[in-house]
Amino acid sequence: MNSIKVSFRLNRKTVDLVVDSRESLLDVLRERLDTTGAKKGCDQGQCGACTVHIDGRRVVSCLTPAVQVAGREVTTIEGVAGPDGELHPLQQAFIDNDALQCGYCTPGQIMSGLACIKEGHTTDDAEIREYMSGNLCRCGCYVGVVAAVRETARKEAGR
Amino acid sequence: MNVSRRKFLAGTAAVTTAATAAVVATPHDGDAASGPPPSRRVDAREKVTGDLRYASDRLLPGTAHAVYAVATIGKGRLLEVNTKAAEAAPGVRLVLTRVDVKPPGFLQGGGHAFQSLQPLTSDRIAYRGQHIALVVADSLHAATEAAALITARYEAEPIAVEIDAPGAQKVRQSDVLPTAHDVVAGNAPSAFAAAPVKIDHEYESPQSHPVPMELIASVVQWDGDDLTIYEGTQNASAVQNGLALQLGISPERIEVLSPSVGGAFGQKNSLQTHLAPVAVAARRLGRPIKVVVPRTQTFHNASFRPASHHRIRLGADRSGRMLAAMHDVDQQTSRHDYFPAVYTELTSRLYGITNYGSQQNLVRTDVQTPGFMRAPYESPGTFAFESAVDELSYALGKDPVALRLANDTAVDPISGHPFSSRYLADTLRRGSRKFGWSERSAAPGSMRGRDGSLIGWGVAAGAYKAATAPATARLRLIPAGRTYHATIWVDGHEMGQGIRSAVARLVAEDLQLRLEHIEVGVGDTRGVPPQHLTAGSWGTATALPAVYAALKELRKKLGLGAKGPVPSGRGETIVLARSRAPGQPEAIHDRAAQGLPAGAGPEYPEFTAFSFVSHFVEVRVEPTTRRIRVPRVVSTVDCGKVASPRTAESQVRGGVIWGIGAALRERSEVDERFGGFANPTLEEYVVPVNADIGRIDVGLIDKPDFNLNPVGVKGLGEVVMVGVAAAVANAVFHATGRRVRHLPIRLEDVL
Repeated sequence: MNSIKVSFRLNRKTVDLVVDSRESLLDVLRERLDTTGAKKGCDQGQCGACTVHIDGRRVVSCLTPAVQVAGREVTTIEGVAGPDGELHPLQQAFIDNDALQCGYCTPGQIMSGLACIKEGHTTDDAEIREYMSGNLCRCGCYVGVVAAVRETARKEAGR
Repeated sequence: MNVSRRKFLAGTAAVTTAATAAVVATPHDGDAASGPPPSRRVDAREKVTGDLRYASDRLLPGTAHAVYAVATIGKGRLLEVNTKAAEAAPGVRLVLTRVDVKPPGFLQGGGHAFQSLQPLTSDRIAYRGQHIALVVADSLHAATEAAALITARYEAEPIAVEIDAPGAQKVRQSDVLPTAHDVVAGNAPSAFAAAPVKIDHEYESPQSHPVPMELIASVVQWDGDDLTIYEGTQNASAVQNGLALQLGISPERIEVLSPSVGGAFGQKNSLQTHLAPVAVAARRLGRPIKVVVPRTQTFHNASFRPASHHRIRLGADRSGRMLAAMHDVDQQTSRHDYFPAVYTELTSRLYGITNYGSQQNLVRTDVQTPGFMRAPYESPGTFAFESAVDELSYALGKDPVALRLANDTAVDPISGHPFSSRYLADTLRRGSRKFGWSERSAAPGSMRGRDGSLIGWGVAAGAYKAATAPATARLRLIPAGRTYHATIWVDGHEMGQGIRSAVARLVAEDLQLRLEHIEVGVGDTRGVPPQHLTAGSWGTATALPAVYAALKELRKKLGLGAKGPVPSGRGETIVLARSRAPGQPEAIHDRAAQGLPAGAGPEYPEFTAFSFVSHFVEVRVEPTTRRIRVPRVVSTVDCGKVASPRTAESQVRGGVIWGIGAALRERSEVDERFGGFANPTLEEYVVPVNADIGRIDVGLIDKPDFNLNPVGVKGLGEVVMVGVAAAVANAVFHATGRRVRHLPIRLEDVL
């Protein structure tokens, strides 16, 4: 057991924290920072429900040691909407396409979807499906997820 | 916390203040006369922002974290549990290997839990992965590490995990469960013997796991003698009443909060056995405890779909009239409980076959007790039956859609009663048109894609009992400026299916309020007790009639006509109403209040009620890899009136994806040397991912069934899965000429 002082940015705010070397980023977010948007679906990097961005890249936070984010910018679903609560176009597209049912995987899907668009993996539906396949949805909202990502990518490309 | 319940009960007396004469319309989104309000998912916003709190998202001050250690043998006796290292680990507060709690009772045997066996109450190990010790520590990582330090000595016994393993014990269901009758009509053996065309084959469905994305989890908090449980469950009342019995306290002392569940699919339908020891530990420590059952442990410490083997015999005349059907089933259960096999309830009524016979057996194996995973009997049952019907169509040289239409019936051949509504034929006709079925070339292997892939088109029908349960609703209307704000508490749970949206829409339509002015409370014992089990596809057909009754009661109380908005100037008004299934006695509400299952159907006093579905599936089998893909599905459903079109369409797609998973992916693997399940992770237990899914075209017949209830709704969430696996298997046969009679179908089956 090792306690390590880390400082990082979480959703544009600075966090200073002493973490245990065994703690995952996901557990620190959920159990210590009360930032529970990222979900635990497997704790083994297999379901994608815990997806967050570190310096703009998508990662599964359950497999990311908390110490590893020292000095980094972490963005979770809570940091996606605007300061006055206006939804990001992808969040709105998830609503418009009913790309969710129980909602448990949704924060991870949206964080992955944002990255998928930024990475440019939205040429066609097949590519979106492939690059969104790290995020399981047991309710089966895949058709809506693809539609939401496609729609948002096209809007952003048109801007 | 119990104050809130007393307050609620006191509040059932209606409060009405003086009304003014002015009538002000409060239209929803524009013109009040324009029909029902738009269909929205009312809790979507908080789901896309991450604001919605599921049970394990509660972070209470002073929370300790619990992790279980598990048995590493398949069966036997626990000789010793060594907890020394765990107790000495930093941050550990408590280690329990035994708790003094009463057995929870099996849900299907008069109790409240998914199984009768309560770990940590004896030295008996019934299955690998069974909980043997509970570690509580200040942090999750400390508890996790300490749980891994626990070792045990055992006296191992021989095991039989799979349904056909040597040592598995087969018993005739009617011998051990006196209430379970084999469905029989006419004289099936002699009609089958005399039939000129016969089909006689066996089909196998594997054990599989529901794996809802939200892990099974509880946050447990004592406040003096009062206990609050935050847990994602489909059955808050069973958790409340069952835990009270286990702990020997009054259910009045326990509140269960499950307002939003992160998927359940039957696995969260009852009291879980991880809970009681955690409640004991929380009391002893005087701290709230959070327990999140790790994914791997959910494969062994919660229910699953049992394996089942089916023998189907169909006899027909040469014109395609089915004269006889026999459906025999062997279904896995545990050693400690008899999980009933109810496969023939549906297959005896899917067509108008007047001679029907069946025998259902239970096979006792060394597992936790299996349970109700989405379309529990109907998905495996129709995989067998609808595969056999497809085989019959080839034996007769008849089109499989025409064969099904020719055997449709308006009367339940078992009870002789009419169906409350039955639009199976319409689903087949509409689906077949949309799919382009008339373009199908009937011979197997006769259709090819441009890339050389084999194309197969398959069809199957399905149905699911239109069940109903008793429910209570409490409606409160309060003035809010020029309009009103309505709060409706109703018996039900939101697992993602959209019950909150369906309830809100009914209230909005009736009172002509905007959806924004309607708040729906479900899954919380502080709202309306009881919060009876939401399962068996009865959620909407149970909650909406209660809400409908509350709306009528409100109109009566306010002296309003049957339609139109509430005139302005009315004061706060509260009404309470109840509903129950046709033919159910009033006392059924007492049963629900005890947290015991109280659903009815498909047989009601005057009719039989089912939802119906047809699925048309295209598969493509790639020429070199033989990989099976499903580029498109056309599914058409008769679920009565569609209560919430937006959420309904998503539910259909989800059910189809479940069917594709059952057909091509899912199986819980067993290694008889070790016991338990060998692939208990989301990596190795393979569920469909986004790249597996193509187009899913949803059709909804949307004809209300007013025989069943005044809202006209039947169930949807389960019927949508029924028949998909058979349609995929039938399409694989059409593509390849290979008749695969087991699930899942993998590429080695079509090499």
